[in-house]
Amino acid sequence: MGLLLSRQHQRSALLRAFALLSQTFLWLGRGSLRRRRQQFIEQLFEMGNRSVLFITVTLGTLGMISVFQVLIQVDRILPEYSVVGPAFLLTMVREFAPTIAGLMIATRVGSGIAAEIGSMVVTEQVDALRMCNAEPVDYLVAPRFAACLIQTVLLTMYGGVVSVVAGGLVANLVWGIPYEVFFRVDNITYSDFLAGFLKCVAYGIAIPIAAAQAGLETEGGSEGVGTATTRAVVNASFCVVVLDFILSGFAFFFLFD
Amino acid sequence: MISFENIHKSFGSRGVLQGVSLSVPTGAIRFIIGASGAGKSVLVKHLIGLIRPDQGRISLDGEDITHLTEKGFYTVRMKCAMVFQHSTLFDSMSLIDNVKLPLRKHKNLTSSEAENEAMYRLEQVQMAKDARRYPADIGDGLRKRVAIARALTLDPKYVVFDEPTTGLDPLAAVNVDQLIRELSDEFNVTSIVVSHDLRSIFTVADQIAMLYNGQVLLDGTPDDFRQSDDSVIRQFIEGRATGPMEFPKASRG
Ligand SMILES: Nc1ncnc2c1ncn2[C@@H]1O[C@H](COP(=O)(O)OP(=O)(O)OP(=O)(O)O)[C@@H](O)[C@H]1O
Ligand SMILES: [Mg+2]
Repeated sequence: MGLLLSRQHQRSALLRAFALLSQTFLWLGRGSLRRRRQQFIEQLFEMGNRSVLFITVTLGTLGMISVFQVLIQVDRILPEYSVVGPAFLLTMVREFAPTIAGLMIATRVGSGIAAEIGSMVVTEQVDALRMCNAEPVDYLVAPRFAACLIQTVLLTMYGGVVSVVAGGLVANLVWGIPYEVFFRVDNITYSDFLAGFLKCVAYGIAIPIAAAQAGLETEGGSEGVGTATTRAVVNASFCVVVLDFILSGFAFFFLFD
Repeated sequence: MISFENIHKSFGSRGVLQGVSLSVPTGAIRFIIGASGAGKSVLVKHLIGLIRPDQGRISLDGEDITHLTEKGFYTVRMKCAMVFQHSTLFDSMSLIDNVKLPLRKHKNLTSSEAENEAMYRLEQVQMAKDARRYPADIGDGLRKRVAIARALTLDPKYVVFDEPTTGLDPLAAVNVDQLIRELSDEFNVTSIVVSHDLRSIFTVADQIAMLYNGQVLLDGTPDDFRQSDDSVIRQFIEGRATGPMEFPKASRG
């Protein structure tokens, strides 16, 4: 931590992020969550509450709109609706549920983490922690990291279900496609779920680290907290997009046949 | 004995400290004054390793502590307490838990073992009746008192007070001044006090250093300051808004 702050201008942001990540794992390994169970549970609830409505609305709308748009095109080219449902489910599982949920979490949860930690930096609470022989990573980052990782996985699964159901409703109510035709899952494999799962785990790791780093590096007074929050959202969203690209490539070459 | 030798510190392109040297003999009360943004808080945080110098040397009781690791500073932080400018209590803990934290972390006491000691410290600053309340529920002045209680729990030999009386009512401010004086007279505690409060400066200080443009402009006793005919110092201690003093730019680089 001391190292991390004192040499912050000499090391690149990515290296610092990896340093923070490894320290977080170190403290989790040393039982940070057991000691700070209450904080961890509070964070878990707060992050969930903060995002659940947001995720419902965005992923629900996205599911409806994408099914609607695809059906319009299909209608024009080949009036053959049976492929739409399975193709929609597949892209949702592999791509859209984790990535859109990840982006939403990067804004909602990422900004919250950065604002909380950042305001503790400018009001010297982080200094005071170090003064009391308490590691900020142990006290502040580890519980938020674990809570965010778990919530990213849970919210992604939830968001995926919401968007699939919303899409199914549109297909059925607007286009009259029967549910058993739309919700055909026989061409979805474990690899597809694995690809989606890997993505949301990766986002769940990257988002809290990017956000906590922005928070810990807050400079100046309360206007510094604003800058840090913006930086957290930008960096976390950027991480999501880059990881999506990398993991999609990985899945394409190694998971799917 | 605390000594800072030729401390330089910049943030980005902004040179906040440009060769500051000063020392504090054991048991003395050293005031550090200067305009907002002069680098007073930055200077005192060097003593406990919260900020590392770009250049210079810091020693505590003759031991060079400039290059200690974060772990190495743990022992320094045990004997050298700090009351932060923002009276930083941890919002998520009750007042008494805040006071217990140093005992639990530095001395490895359990929460119940630390209870009595923490209560005693709160009584010292007349805050015992509010022990179970949370920092958000009390005013700034009261928070500052709890922060002082927390800083004193480990019986530190050195205490850094960063603006301890700012935001206190005059009576509470006098109490804090007396507390600082008592710590020095009865327990031989060495204090560094950052302050704007002219009344406490001239009633409590043994020595005063004024920071100006990244350097020590004058280092002396209260009498030296009263008699100084430096126009910047006259402006500061007479509290005039106009004069030769240049204020540090608010923006940072
Ligand atoms: N961690 C930091 N990163 C970047 N700049 C900093 C940091 N800490 C302090 N500064 C800058 O250093 C300058 C001096 O700050 P400092 O807090 O020491 O002033 P001060 O003399 O204590 O003033 P005040 O009376 O307002 O507390 C300010 O311009 C501040 O913005
Ligand atoms: Mg200050």
